[in-house]
Amino acid sequence: MADKKDFLLEIGTEEMPSAPLSNAVAQLGKLVDEGLDELGLSHGKVRIISTPRRLAALVADVACATEERNESRRGPAARIAFDAEGNPTKAALGFARKQGVNAEQLRRHVDADGNEYVFAEIHEESRPAEPLLTQLCEHIISHLEWPNYRSQRWGSEHVSFVRPVRWICALLGSEVIDVTYGDVTSSNTTRGHRVLGAGEHVVAEPKLYEDVLRSACVLGEEERTAVIRKGIAQIEAERGGAHVDTPRATFQEVVNLCEWPSVIVGKFDEEFLAVPHEIICESMLSNQRYFPIYDKNGKLTCEFVVVSNADPRCAATVIDGNERVVRARLDDAKFFYDEDLKVPMDEFVERLSQVVFQEKLGSMRQKVERMEALALAAAHQLDANEELAQKAQRAAHLAKADLVSQAVIEFTSQQGVMGGYYAEAAGEPVDIADAIREHYRPRFAGDKLPSGVVGQLVALADKIDTACGMFAIGEPPTGSADPFAVRRAAIGVIAILKVLPKLELRKLIHCALSSLAAQGISFDVAEVETDVVKFFAGRLAAMAKKDGIAPDTIDAVSAVGVIDPAEFFARAHALDEARSSQPELFDDLAVAYARAAHLADKNLGIEVDETLLTESESVLLQACCEGEQNVEKALASGDYEGACRSLAALREPIDRFFDDVLVMDEDTKLRENRLRLLNRFANVFADVADIGVLSRKR
Amino acid sequence: MSTTPLSFQDMILALEHYWADQGCTVMQPYDSEVGAGTFHTATLLRSLGPAAWRTCYPQPCRRPADGRYGENPNRMQHYYQFQVVLKPSPADSQELYLGSLTAIGLDPAEHDVRFVEDDWESPTLGAWGLGWEVWMDGMEVTQFTYFQQVGGIEVDPVPVEIAYGLERIAMYAQQVDSVYDLVWSWLPDGTAIKYGDVFLENEREFSAYNFEVADVPMMRQKFDDYERECHACLDRKLPLPGYDCVMKCSHAFNLLDSRGALSAVERANYILRVRTLAKACCESYLAEVASKSDAEKKEVA
Repeated sequence: MADKKDFLLEIGTEEMPSAPLSNAVAQLGKLVDEGLDELGLSHGKVRIISTPRRLAALVADVACATEERNESRRGPAARIAFDAEGNPTKAALGFARKQGVNAEQLRRHVDADGNEYVFAEIHEESRPAEPLLTQLCEHIISHLEWPNYRSQRWGSEHVSFVRPVRWICALLGSEVIDVTYGDVTSSNTTRGHRVLGAGEHVVAEPKLYEDVLRSACVLGEEERTAVIRKGIAQIEAERGGAHVDTPRATFQEVVNLCEWPSVIVGKFDEEFLAVPHEIICESMLSNQRYFPIYDKNGKLTCEFVVVSNADPRCAATVIDGNERVVRARLDDAKFFYDEDLKVPMDEFVERLSQVVFQEKLGSMRQKVERMEALALAAAHQLDANEELAQKAQRAAHLAKADLVSQAVIEFTSQQGVMGGYYAEAAGEPVDIADAIREHYRPRFAGDKLPSGVVGQLVALADKIDTACGMFAIGEPPTGSADPFAVRRAAIGVIAILKVLPKLELRKLIHCALSSLAAQGISFDVAEVETDVVKFFAGRLAAMAKKDGIAPDTIDAVSAVGVIDPAEFFARAHALDEARSSQPELFDDLAVAYARAAHLADKNLGIEVDETLLTESESVLLQACCEGEQNVEKALASGDYEGACRSLAALREPIDRFFDDVLVMDEDTKLRENRLRLLNRFANVFADVADIGVLSRKR
Repeated sequence: MSTTPLSFQDMILALEHYWADQGCTVMQPYDSEVGAGTFHTATLLRSLGPAAWRTCYPQPCRRPADGRYGENPNRMQHYYQFQVVLKPSPADSQELYLGSLTAIGLDPAEHDVRFVEDDWESPTLGAWGLGWEVWMDGMEVTQFTYFQQVGGIEVDPVPVEIAYGLERIAMYAQQVDSVYDLVWSWLPDGTAIKYGDVFLENEREFSAYNFEVADVPMMRQKFDDYERECHACLDRKLPLPGYDCVMKCSHAFNLLDSRGALSAVERANYILRVRTLAKACCESYLAEVASKSDAEKKEVA
């Protein structure tokens, strides 16, 4: 057994960004673990230690050499391996090649089972770990990946990394492993915190690595997280039940922006609390990576948490600097907000004529006009009372007003939110203010919908107008280009229509296109309407697929032309469930339907002469009549399970019909009557689903 | 910050001395309107080709749309950057930068200095690089970028660009809340000459000019003329005058923008035209100048 020593690889860099750093941390453990295994170096646990300026792997008990190997491997039976003259056959040669020995080196002897085989004796010398580790370290540094991020070159080097590599500390026990990457060669030193532990520090052996880091004021990720959490908990405790908001992404970034964190509290003037809190929090969290503090009643306070990387003795200076930054930002925000409040919202709306929505679709003002018409039409479709309809129209009118407000120009992501504040300040009813605030929802699949009907109608109007507009000017979304996020808009429309099932998407599309045409945008309304309907059908199908509904079920339902989401999904689910509870029945029915549809001649109609029927035919006709009535009833009440059940009831009669009856009888009268019966059969399905689709794949 | 903070001009002088000691050629600002220190030939064109180069200079930058008639304490249409370029980037570029902060009286040991990811891309220059914005106590004071591509061309060796926001740093050092209150210099009798004394009137007049007066048809014409001129220069293998025209185009575009004369599509189109010119100049500079030895250059001349 070879000696074992701990192994350390530390890649020292200039400050790495948080996201790619986290990603590399995940890769590094795997690369080291698998790399050592592949080299045949036994080892203990791999630990990863990271800071913005280093990525390190610490491995316990790495063998100082690979094991010497002596192995006897059994090959083919001797009688196969050698021909009559005793020369090796192809089988023997192949085996020898695979084992890396010459055919002459193959031995033959009797194995435990009493048969004679050929054997290859494998001998592998023990190899020292150092050169293998050199190779592994260099491989790892050059093979870390930076997905969704770019790596860079530096100086005169041609290697790349996410940020310049400045030192490498690589040790097996107290021995330096030679590693070279670009202009950097390894040593037994690491580097400390930029100011608290500046310069190089010797790491005598891997075991001492973390102690050396700590004494040079550098903490690994877990320790930094713990220090920050503890600091925050203390701040909360000191403020009796206060809560510090630490959104996950920002928190992770903060952890990866320091090596020696200290948690401190800054403050801004009370007067700024009059500024909408969304703006204050955005300023603090996204721009500055501060955490807002809420009091025990959940109210935003004028204090905030800063995680500093400086010498804790400089806290006063650091706080002062950070407070200046917040003050300047909030000063701006407050000024903008106060100025904005002086402008009537309707005036903002008029200014929207200066804002281009889309080159060919005109200004935002024009879009608002279309949204108003559409929101009003949708409200009427809902049989909403006139008050609600008026509110929907008013909310649509005001929805985009804040785009020209100074606050939104400065804090773009607060669009909608600011409009809500302005509307409230102007005395608009609460549901209108809410509608303005929430009309961008849902922003992504699964996002919350606007909370009230008014907001849902405005959101719907906004999104349908965008989708229809882009189709009208011949710029529908493509795989590579969807600059106006039409796909996301469609998903939003579908989500909203699911909760407003009374609305008919086709009518809304028609209304939206009419508004576009009325504003002088020229396009073929009928043609675009077909395209938009097709587009929504495609979105529905994609969403149904995500829901786990079988693709052919989706096709069968789509073929009927349903695009109202609630109905579409109810039908798809019903058919899917019916099929999975009685798979054989539906497969069979599908085959029969396809056969009927194949034979059928639509021109003959569905009026059957009952006097010409045999018994099987009469039974089928009877079943069809009942089916028609049942399906009609079921569909009228939205009972899609019932409709599927009614279809299922046709299986036996149709199977019997095909068993007993020769459709293509020589007698034209009989033949045509039978074809009429089949037409009638197929017709029962017409409004439920194109069952024939289900048979296609077989 | 116990000692008296440096005046604005002393800060510039201190930076020049510091970087001169690091082997930088101290240059003067480019004598034409530019939107950022990067536009200076000493940064952009010198980034191309294999020759080593170190320079530093202050550069007034013009961003017409950022004017606030002198009424905003932080925002101006004309402000200063201090620009440093080190090519190839040395292994201790960050340490050199931190040293420069000490040189202007902001010792990194007494502050919270952070390198916060901020990758840089200039669509008009066909350039990008990776780096950081440097924060001092939460305030962004410098852009620090390792160029990777300039004018659509991979740079090799890699230059590092360090761009200080001079007013911000000075405001912090001098602890004032308005840029116009910065002490620029002192008269012999001890009277302070403030930033406002030097530039407030300039901000008022140019804000009015940029937003209200600049003649739109003339700017469009100017753009077209200089675009043509640029091509004429490049046809004669004269990348430097050609590049000079690019900056004229760029400024004309910025004025059209501040006048609100451009639709979104037009805007994108102008940016594309500037980029096309900038790329052509970079390619020409690399071919005619940067990749040639001195002897070859003389032959051309």
